[in-house]
Amino acid sequence: MKTWFNRLRKGPNFSWNAFLVLLLVMEFVIFGSANQKFLRPALLLTSANDFLPVCMISIFVTFVMITGGIDIQVSSIVGLTSIVVGVAWQDFGLNIWAAVALAVIVAALCGALSGFFIAYCGVQAMVVTLGGSFLYSGLALLVSTLSSTESYQGISGFPDPFKQITKYKLFGAVPLQIVIFLVLLAIAYLLLHRTKYGRRVYLVGVNPQAARYSGVNTCRVIMSTYILSAVSAAVAGVVMTSYLGTAKSDLGGNLTMNIITACVLGGTLSTGGKGSIIGTGLASIAIGLLRFGMPLCFKVNTQYLDIPIGVLLLVVVVGRSLAGNPAVIAKFGRLRAGRKGKKEQAAA
Amino acid sequence: MTRMKSVLKARETTSFIFLAALFLLVGVINPSFLTMGNISACFNTSVVYTLVAVGMAFAVFVGEIDVSVGSNLGFVATVVGCLLRDGANWAYAFGVGIVIGALVGLFNGWGVAVMKVPSLIFTLGTNGILRGLMYIYTGGAWVENLPKSFKDFSSVTLIGSFTVYYCCAVALVAGIHIILTRTRRGRYFIAVGDNAGGAELVGIPAVRTKVLAYVICGVLSAVAGIIFCSRIGFVTSASGNGYEMKAVAACVLGGISLSGGVGSVIGSAIGAVIMASISYLLVFMGFSSNYDNAITGIILITIVVIDALMQRRSAVRNRHARLAARTAGEGEEVSAK
Repeated sequence: MKTWFNRLRKGPNFSWNAFLVLLLVMEFVIFGSANQKFLRPALLLTSANDFLPVCMISIFVTFVMITGGIDIQVSSIVGLTSIVVGVAWQDFGLNIWAAVALAVIVAALCGALSGFFIAYCGVQAMVVTLGGSFLYSGLALLVSTLSSTESYQGISGFPDPFKQITKYKLFGAVPLQIVIFLVLLAIAYLLLHRTKYGRRVYLVGVNPQAARYSGVNTCRVIMSTYILSAVSAAVAGVVMTSYLGTAKSDLGGNLTMNIITACVLGGTLSTGGKGSIIGTGLASIAIGLLRFGMPLCFKVNTQYLDIPIGVLLLVVVVGRSLAGNPAVIAKFGRLRAGRKGKKEQAAA
Repeated sequence: MTRMKSVLKARETTSFIFLAALFLLVGVINPSFLTMGNISACFNTSVVYTLVAVGMAFAVFVGEIDVSVGSNLGFVATVVGCLLRDGANWAYAFGVGIVIGALVGLFNGWGVAVMKVPSLIFTLGTNGILRGLMYIYTGGAWVENLPKSFKDFSSVTLIGSFTVYYCCAVALVAGIHIILTRTRRGRYFIAVGDNAGGAELVGIPAVRTKVLAYVICGVLSAVAGIIFCSRIGFVTSASGNGYEMKAVAACVLGGISLSGGVGSVIGSAIGAVIMASISYLLVFMGFSSNYDNAITGIILITIVVIDALMQRRSAVRNRHARLAARTAGEGEEVSAK
């Protein structure tokens, strides 16, 4: 226990993770004191349903960002997965689980395609995933036209076992979604921080040249991160479809900003080489609680929520850039020295 | 330098040829497309995209990106729309809109150039804030009942069947292109994007240039917002959503490299026409508009992948040529391989 704690404390991101924990605690204190309802466990756990997709995806987008890339196509893959599940089940008559498997495979292929262009053809990640976001949301729309149901209505009436993914409550309280998230978190943590693969992901982000010379297949590593993020988007898409009870092609269309915010707030460096699963996980939960707490406690309209999240993102990135600026550090050093000097004078 | 210029020129000509080929292809499939009215309609609808894409081109030239243009456009359209609806003077309303755009650009420039925050992340934050402000300003309601004269102005034509807006946009793009390529300060943008450190060493104020690029980007998206307002005739709280991505796509289609320092505003204007006409062309090819996004995505990915592969091939060829020159006899074998 103690060694685990020490390792956490000595880790490169400790101070940042501590800040995120502090942020979470502050949210609980502020929202809790503003409205007692916020602290009711049942409500809190149910609220998690609304923001878990962001949490699930962002922990795997962290992998992509550590390699120095970015993935803005994940939100369109969420919609694609949802509609593939719906159409395969309703119109092709597949078993619901076969439909889910098919959707995950389709998502993985989409991720692999974009990853291939980025890793093997050397195109910028931003451009390819931008094209991917058009392409996959377009594909989702086309798939939805295969269905006999009008696309704006969405496909509903899924069998009970599928709905149970989000209706079932472990120990009568914890929704299964949270368990899925925790399992994904554990997988991501082990993969990134405890395996050779994870070290390679970091190495590719820090110095791809060095990685290549030390025998790492950098192209394969980069491509694999996009497959991972696409599969996580597929899982999130399945969960959202099950939770809402309808399959729609434009599901998750506006998640991108929240996902990138979660990654950056979690301490992931967008230029690559730095980031942690715990950080992203904490940050995504902090954003989720903000989205849940603001409307509940301060009657903020849900449509205004982009403002606090945008402000949070800007404050964090500007603050971090200030903290890393040598001039500012020197100024703080002088300030502290000056204060010490004054204290000594007062003592004398 | 002359070789460099010819390469740049080639990049725009490729996109222009692509556009012409696209029009011809549609014309072959459906001959009724090839009328002056249809072709000018493609150009006229692209005016908002053109302005946003040219603004985005400035951010991309200096090696950054601005994803707040869409909500900047929407916010300015909302404010200007409200002012005009309430009977404000045109000049006053436009002035307010442009000042808002410039301030947003200044804020982005401060964050990116002065605070050195990665541009994608900073402008993503600005994007969220502006989108939220739009809701607050209107309370989520649509801005409607704009003055009829303002709406009708969008269909006034100047030369042939080209609207006043498009002609002005073309003149603006031509002016900007001349400033960027023929004046000292204009060339700063490309220089900073090509090699920021080197530009600073030769005495170019890199930070100030980047801030200026963002201000120009903000002002152009504000103008685009005003024209959007006039053309569409109403503003919803989702107006301008997704324009940032289309603008980036237009820049890429126009041969601008997202790593900065390569390309021209003419390219981005041509890219904008391609982006704007895809949905129009699909109708003539007998596809439903459902294919819109998928085809945009395919075109975008194909172009950038081909571009990257060609660049890599020429890099390899250059390396081989250098190697051959250095090791005279043995070099030939290498290059033969």
